[in-house]
Amino acid sequence: RFKSSTVKECIHAILKEKLANVQYNPEEMPQLTKALSETIKDRLKEEGFDRYKMVVQVVIGEQRGEGVNMAARCFWDADTDSYAHDVFMNDSLFCVVAAFGCFYY
Amino acid sequence: MAAPGQLVSVFCQHAGAALTQAAGVYWYKTAKDPEAVVLTATLDSYIHRVTVVSKRRTKEDTWKSEELRKHLRASQPDSQNEDRKHREKKPQKEKSVHDTDTHKHDHKDRGKSKERTRERERFKSSERDREKMRERERAKEHQREGDRERYKDKLQESSLEKERYSVPKDKERESDREREKKHKRHEIKQIDTENNLKSFEGRDKEHHRRRESRHHLKEEKTRSEERERRRAEKKDNDAKKSTDKFLAYSVEEGEHVQKLQKNQELDKEGERRHREKKEHSVRPGKERLSKERSHKRYEKEEEEKHKSRRSKEGSSHGDREGQPAEANERVKSRENERMKRDLKSSGYETEERIQEEMSYQHARTLKDKGKLTEKEERDTRQEKMKDTRISNSDMGFDNFSAEYEDDFEDYEDDFDDYDEDKSGEERDAEENQREIPFSRTSEIEEIQRAISAENDRIHTSLPKKIENEKKEPVMEKQCPSVRNSFCGIFMDFQMANQRQSSRSMASKLKKRSSELLPLIDLDFSVSFSLLDLPPVNEYDMYIRNFGKMNTKQAYVQCNEDNLERDIQTEEVETLEKWTQHPGESALVSGGPINSQGMSVNGALTPKIDSQRLANFLRSACQVIAVLLEEDQVATKPKWKLRSGQTSLPISDSCFQLNTNQPFLHDRKISCLYVSQVQRQTLLSVHGLPEKADVGLLNRKSIICIWNIWQPSSPQKVLICDSEVTCCCFSPNKTALVFAGTIDGSLLVWDLREDSRMHPHMVISETDWTFRVPTFSTDGILNSVTHTSPILAVEPVSTSLYTDQNYGLSSLSYQEEMSSPPFQIASMDENGILNMWVVVELQKVDLAGSQTDLGLIPGGKVKLIHSSTMDLNNSLFPKDVRQRMPQTLTIKFLSSNPNHFIVGTNIGLVGQGTRNDLKVLPKLFRPQQSGLRSISINAIDFFPFGKPLFLVGCSDGSIRLHQMTSEYPLMQWNDSTNGRPIIALQWALTRPAVFFVLDASSSIYIWDLLENDLLPVAKQTIQLANVVTMALLGEPGKTNGLLGIALAKESGQIDIQYVKKKWALPQPEESEKLNLILLQSI
Repeated sequence: RFKSSTVKECIHAILKEKLANVQYNPEEMPQLTKALSETIKDRLKEEGFDRYKMVVQVVIGEQRGEGVNMAARCFWDADTDSYAHDVFMNDSLFCVVAAFGCFYY
Repeated sequence: MAAPGQLVSVFCQHAGAALTQAAGVYWYKTAKDPEAVVLTATLDSYIHRVTVVSKRRTKEDTWKSEELRKHLRASQPDSQNEDRKHREKKPQKEKSVHDTDTHKHDHKDRGKSKERTRERERFKSSERDREKMRERERAKEHQREGDRERYKDKLQESSLEKERYSVPKDKERESDREREKKHKRHEIKQIDTENNLKSFEGRDKEHHRRRESRHHLKEEKTRSEERERRRAEKKDNDAKKSTDKFLAYSVEEGEHVQKLQKNQELDKEGERRHREKKEHSVRPGKERLSKERSHKRYEKEEEEKHKSRRSKEGSSHGDREGQPAEANERVKSRENERMKRDLKSSGYETEERIQEEMSYQHARTLKDKGKLTEKEERDTRQEKMKDTRISNSDMGFDNFSAEYEDDFEDYEDDFDDYDEDKSGEERDAEENQREIPFSRTSEIEEIQRAISAENDRIHTSLPKKIENEKKEPVMEKQCPSVRNSFCGIFMDFQMANQRQSSRSMASKLKKRSSELLPLIDLDFSVSFSLLDLPPVNEYDMYIRNFGKMNTKQAYVQCNEDNLERDIQTEEVETLEKWTQHPGESALVSGGPINSQGMSVNGALTPKIDSQRLANFLRSACQVIAVLLEEDQVATKPKWKLRSGQTSLPISDSCFQLNTNQPFLHDRKISCLYVSQVQRQTLLSVHGLPEKADVGLLNRKSIICIWNIWQPSSPQKVLICDSEVTCCCFSPNKTALVFAGTIDGSLLVWDLREDSRMHPHMVISETDWTFRVPTFSTDGILNSVTHTSPILAVEPVSTSLYTDQNYGLSSLSYQEEMSSPPFQIASMDENGILNMWVVVELQKVDLAGSQTDLGLIPGGKVKLIHSSTMDLNNSLFPKDVRQRMPQTLTIKFLSSNPNHFIVGTNIGLVGQGTRNDLKVLPKLFRPQQSGLRSISINAIDFFPFGKPLFLVGCSDGSIRLHQMTSEYPLMQWNDSTNGRPIIALQWALTRPAVFFVLDASSSIYIWDLLENDLLPVAKQTIQLANVVTMALLGEPGKTNGLLGIALAKESGQIDIQYVKKKWALPQPEESEKLNLILLQSI
């Protein structure tokens, strides 16, 4: 079973570790997002959701005071599939990580 | 024949895109077919679309090449070179196919089912092509038609991609024309060449939805035939084509017809399914998916059947290697079984199938025979290839057989509709299975052993190829080298093996999915909000950018308690005062006066000269009173009329002083006196009343002071206890009134005294003040006072020069309040003349004076006796004294107050001085000599300066005397008819006129200028006895006002203004009078 809370904890821990003192730099961010998504994906695999296909989405944006609204919509079986997301923010950037787990029948 | 192989590799490299771009018509077509399948595959399993496409293609190619080979072997012995080339490339293709297969093992299974359908369609097209070929060769006209049809076919095939089931009908319709012909031929050429038969068989089975994998071989052959043939067509109908071919074609056509019929049936089924699908497709996507799944499942199951059969085929082929005849027979028997099965489904095909089987067997033998040494190699190779396949199938056999029944159960569950068919098929399959163990177990074991050995060898050599897809091109290069060393053959085994396993896996998965999908509900009804970051407001932004970190700004306003309060009120002013009641003195109240109040009071109360103010007010009051009186007179014509009535002929107008006062009733007027300085002021002396009625005033005489301009009421009323005989004003002002009484006392009234000092009386609503005398000589100075009634009181002016400026004196004296002291002369009947000095006291003693007993308390004026003269002794000579003369009247000379004249009762007027000086003439005598007892009643001095005086005598004679002569200038006797003259007075405005009043109340007016002998006018007052007369008028003025105040006995006082002719002075009147007087002298 895809446990949102544990996944969220994982994401949170990783984000905290990786983004603690990161300033927004438009050139570095693409690599960072990729690295983050990979890290999180691997970490989630370690969690042992064997029957789940994982999709990890990482979005990093600069904090300039603008309003941001992100939403997701999934075509899935709500009984088994689930997602977890976590938001990390510091002065210069915000990072939104959404992890979707699709049950592999 | 290099093109197909290259194309295959191209297909391998470029998954799907290259397909449609394949060069050549043939490839184009073949490439097209797969695409149709590809698209159906996408419908079924979209996830693996791309990879499936590539695999499929490669497989197909291999099959084609195999078919081609067989086809060449069978039909084209002549074109061996070409075949060889083909053959050389075949393994290559196969190898590549295997590579891909091994890699995409998982995906293969699903793809295969679609491959089958593709193949089926391909067959159709190839058959048609063959027909066209034949037609072309027969008749050139048909060729064009064929080409056209071919293109149509292509189009149809492309359309098949989309509508697998509907399009075939069209094809069938097209081919219907030819079908009739072909049926005829088909009956004739039932027995035909082997390849035809083979192809027919393959086709036949494929029409049965290709349930036997064995047919791949045949299919491949047919395909290769097609390829061959097309190449031939490209080479403009190669002349090498044999008649067999033609025959075969004809047979194929016939078969084709049959096949088409079957196709029709199948199509019906398909259509039915399709319809179902469509019905379901109306339902939501999930159901559609499940449908597709079910469809897939259906195909899968078919595949599984194919596999089973294939495995049997494989075994049969294996047998055929050792014992071809047996294999053929076995094949035949299996085909018979199949036939039977087919009969169940479509009985009408049975005959044809039997024929087919027969021809198949025949073809087999023919083939073996026809293909000589050259073909032997190929055969062995083919056989080996088949064996590998068989071995693969055998290897997967255990799994397969195990799952076999399960699959069938699933099948039954899912597709109840097809139970009949399936049951039949199952039965066949079971029979096959049973047959296999009986007939071939031993052979299979041998083969398996050999295969395993070979596989071992190959596995060692080709591990890498299996692993990596990307190395395919490299492997393709390697493959040709390995080709000759049976690499291709081993690859075939492995590929088949993998295919088997993958198929089983796929079948499992599909089953699973088919089971699961209905249970799973997919939806995306919920959407998740991942992040909602509101925009930061400007202030926070500013603070973040420019403010200090982690601080917050706050504003506090201090000094809130700094309020101002203000109250505005009036100060309460306090002042201490005291008062006492009843007041014991003038001070009844008082208190400390603060400085502020002082200033205010000082400002409010300016200094007032009270004395001056009082004087002003007094005079002003008089003026105003006079004005009011005049106004009143003017507004009362009635009263005026009455006065007019009483006016005399000698007068222009007249009026009465209002003596109709209650206190004046019944009092006779004894005397009138007009002030010398204020001519309008008149004194009237009223005697005692005849009957006492008013208590207070009962025994008192009254003196009224009138202002003739204010006739309505007397100005002041003076009272005294005794009867007043004579009175006079002070010479310079009207402030003092002197009166002599009948008892010899002299009285003085100070008119300036406060009225409060005198008794008041309210008579007929008017407050009257009755002034008592300020000073009285009554009872004091007994030694000097008169003992007899006072006859006359005369003021004696001390001024020496009054004579010169007589007119001015009055004015000057009037202005001086404190006039110079003057004397009063009083003369009684005894001839004693007393001189009194009028003294004004500076200090008022309210308590009364102890020394001045005659002075009223608070009075300021008193009389001091200065001198006394006995006129009788000093004035008259001895001879006159003998006659006992009595002084009656006295007049002081205005020009020289020391001189006076005294009238006597013997007709003589004596002249004396105060200081006993001798003056001449001592006596003024009348013209008649001799002393007679004639009393002198009136004496009046000429007022215009000349020392003249008039004397009125009781005998009615009037004498005009000159001071310097003893005898008169003129004497008028009998002017009054002997009636005594009471009063006589010079006119104040005209020197030549004087007025005379006699005792008969007649008034005579003398105008000496007009007539010096007789009076010019005489007026007798009727109805009343006129007691006395006084003239009013101002000598200095020429306004023509000359009034005569007539006091009547009744108490009335009439004032008559004489006519202008006597009042207005005439020019040079004094000179004319002098001339007259001189003439008279």
